[in-house]
Amino acid sequence: MTKRQSIIGEFEQLVLLAILQLDDEAYGPSISEELETKAGRRVSRGALYSSLDRLQQKGLLRWKIESATSARGGHPKRRFEVTRPGIAALRDYRKALTNLWAGLEEVIG
Amino acid sequence: MRRPPSIAESLLRTVLPHDAVGRSVLGDLTEEYGRRAIKNTEAARRWYWREALAIAFHRTRDKFTKTATPTTYVSDRVGRGDGLLQRIWADLRFGTRTLWRTPGFTVVAAITLALGIGANTAIFSLVNGVLLQPLPYDEADRLVGVWNTAPGLDVEQISQSPALHFTYEDEGSVFEDLGLWNRGTTAVTGLDEALQEDAIWVTDGLFRALRVQPAIGRRFNREDDTPETPMTAILSYRYWRSSFGSDPNVIGRTLMANGIARQIIGVMPADFRLLGEDPAIYFPMRWDRSQVFVGQFSFRSLGRLKPGVTVPQATAELTRLLPIAVEKFPGGMTMALLEEAKAAPVLTPLKTDVIGSVGNVLWVLLGTAGMVLLIACANVANLSLVRAEGRDREVAVRTAMGAARGRIASQFVTETVVLGLVGCVLSLGLAYAGLQVLLAMAPNNLPRLEEIYIGPMVLLFTVGVAVVASLAVSLLPVFRYGRLNLVSALKEGGRGASSSRQRNRIRNALVVAQVALAIVLLIGSGLMIRSFQSLMAVEPGFRDPAAVLTLRVSIPSAEVQDVGEMALSHELIARRIGEIPGVTSVGLSTSITMDGSAGFDPIYVEEFPLGEGQLPPVRSFKWIGAGYFETMGNPVVAGRAITWSDLHERARVVVITENLAREYWDSPADAIGKRVGTGLQPGSDWRTIVGVVGDVRDNGVSEAAATVVYWPMIGPNPWQDIVGDSLFANRTMAYAIRSDRTGTAGFLDEIRRVIWSINSNLPLAGVRTLEDILDRSTARTSFTLVMLAVTTAVALLLGMVGVYGVISYVVTQRTREIGVRIALGAQTGTVMKMVLRHGLRLAGTGVTVGLLAAFGLTRLMSSLLYGVSPVDAITYTTVAAGTTVIVLLASYLPARKAAGVDPLEALRAE
Repeated sequence: MTKRQSIIGEFEQLVLLAILQLDDEAYGPSISEELETKAGRRVSRGALYSSLDRLQQKGLLRWKIESATSARGGHPKRRFEVTRPGIAALRDYRKALTNLWAGLEEVIG
Repeated sequence: MRRPPSIAESLLRTVLPHDAVGRSVLGDLTEEYGRRAIKNTEAARRWYWREALAIAFHRTRDKFTKTATPTTYVSDRVGRGDGLLQRIWADLRFGTRTLWRTPGFTVVAAITLALGIGANTAIFSLVNGVLLQPLPYDEADRLVGVWNTAPGLDVEQISQSPALHFTYEDEGSVFEDLGLWNRGTTAVTGLDEALQEDAIWVTDGLFRALRVQPAIGRRFNREDDTPETPMTAILSYRYWRSSFGSDPNVIGRTLMANGIARQIIGVMPADFRLLGEDPAIYFPMRWDRSQVFVGQFSFRSLGRLKPGVTVPQATAELTRLLPIAVEKFPGGMTMALLEEAKAAPVLTPLKTDVIGSVGNVLWVLLGTAGMVLLIACANVANLSLVRAEGRDREVAVRTAMGAARGRIASQFVTETVVLGLVGCVLSLGLAYAGLQVLLAMAPNNLPRLEEIYIGPMVLLFTVGVAVVASLAVSLLPVFRYGRLNLVSALKEGGRGASSSRQRNRIRNALVVAQVALAIVLLIGSGLMIRSFQSLMAVEPGFRDPAAVLTLRVSIPSAEVQDVGEMALSHELIARRIGEIPGVTSVGLSTSITMDGSAGFDPIYVEEFPLGEGQLPPVRSFKWIGAGYFETMGNPVVAGRAITWSDLHERARVVVITENLAREYWDSPADAIGKRVGTGLQPGSDWRTIVGVVGDVRDNGVSEAAATVVYWPMIGPNPWQDIVGDSLFANRTMAYAIRSDRTGTAGFLDEIRRVIWSINSNLPLAGVRTLEDILDRSTARTSFTLVMLAVTTAVALLLGMVGVYGVISYVVTQRTREIGVRIALGAQTGTVMKMVLRHGLRLAGTGVTVGLLAAFGLTRLMSSLLYGVSPVDAITYTTVAAGTTVIVLLASYLPARKAAGVDPLEALRAE
């Protein structure tokens, strides 16, 4: 954990994982739903898009603009993908957690 | 397709970037809205709104915080490219956080500012509601009061004569509409209970001039206002509700007033006031123009100027019309008399008529509140200075790291403005509470009370005051940092960066200013207390007013037709009330002292005939029965009082007040047996002076005693040359009842029973004690006194805190020095004296400056004072001595602390 630029917050981690879980279907509403159903986290769209923008600025995810549909009022769709540094950051995070968890099974259960 | 709420959508379009990303967010929300709307449109709309607001919030925040990280103040190095908004936002965040970290300072400073600002807000809302807001009439700036002046008679402003009014109305071209009005009372019968009600008589032009329409029905027209037509009346909203149960079919119903049936034709709107008056009923005046003459200057008048007509133009035209009035309505004053009196019309803005002289009080109070704010600012500035010193190192480091001085300054200013705004919010709460107390306490005769509230104008004022105050407060620390010596600040580790002498000089100056301001306020309050004392010491023409109950009883001609019988009924009622256990005496008069209902007429003195063209002086007229002076407690100085047998014999006698007697004769006793008369010219009907009584302050305690002539309440008509030989008597009499039972339960009921046992149809009204009447007369002075006292108390408290703060800060700073002194053998007494001397020096300078300032400023309040000079020596001395003692007290605690310094501790702490 010496490379400070790869620090991610807890919520950012959840967002990245949700995108990976959703694979091809990762866009705004589905990420929000995934976070709510699997992680029990309700989050406003404002906070979610704000985190997505931040993760993109850090280079941890990227997006593709897809064509518009009528159900979306003629607006395009933005599909998210986790980048290589994003996956690396998740790994770092998991490694740090695993190290810190080691030997605590009896204490925490 | 279901569309999301369009306002929320356009909000999103505004905050989102105008590119594919932005549109994709819109798309996400639209899609989900569609899904949710299938289940529940309302819930979906709510959801969409919530999300849109959240996005707007986050986008705005992200935009401004991109460059500021949450733990250090990186934006010191914000480059040229960053926006002003961004910098302000960063400053705001930083400021808020810094304040949050020093809650002690923040709370004290915010409360201090809140007190200062709140006092201003509360009093400004009075000033705004009473003085600044236009009157609640359409295009009120064109409304004027129509008066006359007669400098030749020493009369500055007198009311209107109907003859002039009708001339202006018929011949003039400057008014759109013009009205005449007059207050009075009327006996209403035929409802549940016979009652005497307040009424106002108006001409038909009055409501047109004010451009007011009744809430239901119609207003008076020219026909209603003409004699020989059916009688009409308009009710006030209040009276319609209380006495007619808001009957929607009231129009056309009959009202029995003074025994005459009148048709109700309208009900005025709920919020309508006639220059602050809210009578029960309005009647048309129905002037018979053949009876009108130039005279009877006792009616109020107002008019609406035509657009573009100025007051000087209008006055010039009305002046030209004076001779025409004399010609049109002969029988009264001649042109020669008018010229001798130098009579001329005077137009005043109607607002002046409503507000009267209360403006003075309010401006003085606002000035007082301003001083409290200055004291509060000085306190907060002092606190900020102390705090700023602790931050020398922070500032030095930041400057060394490349922060521009301007940036640091702007950040300090922002911080103080945040503080000011917190104070502002608190102050609104304080002001609201304060205003409720103030309104509850305000004298009844303070005009336009119902128009006072904390509205947009007041809010704007409050925010303005808060911003200006915080800018002023932040100036000192900013100024300080401008001269901060970086090297020494860094070297000394944040302590004693600037020369301590200079630092203390600023602080001392602030305390001196506070003490000086407090002195000015104290002297203001002191002068008001002295005025109040003088008012209380005045002999008003009665004694022990709390024991005298007053009420008015009216005997309408419908009840008792014959005037002589009517007067006997009054006598009977008075005698019966006198038999009630506990009643010492009962008096009858058309006007109780200070109740404002005395009449005025000329008086001729037989022994001193007037010269050619000379006008007789006008005196107060009152018509009384036996026992009046005895009941009021006004002594008979010479001769005797009027008795029942004077009334029975229709004796041609009068009683006059002592000041009137002394105007003509050397002593009151010399007046006895002399004769006086009234009417258009002297000589027709002389009355003998049988008694002289003490002076009465009929126009209020603070006014000069009136010259009063008391007539028997029934007797030969003194205006025989006008009305012919007849009996004259008043149907409405005020009863003064002296009893130790006044104010106790059941007493009034007993009096009512006695009156109604004689005639159950007699209306009685205006029940109050003589003390109530007196209080009304002193209300303005006591109101000003209380207001000044409260603001002064706040000022004194803040001032004491200021003195205490500075002295104890200095003691803390000098702990080491004091420790050394004590170690070297200084006595506790010497150390205490040293600290107290500092306090005394501050007090001395502050008191001197304050006394000089008060000397100049208290002149502004001289119109509020009574019986005391604005430079009253006693007040000045007492306040100066008192303040010095208080400052010494405030220095005493720090002095004791200094004396208790443990030299070892003090030295080790270094």
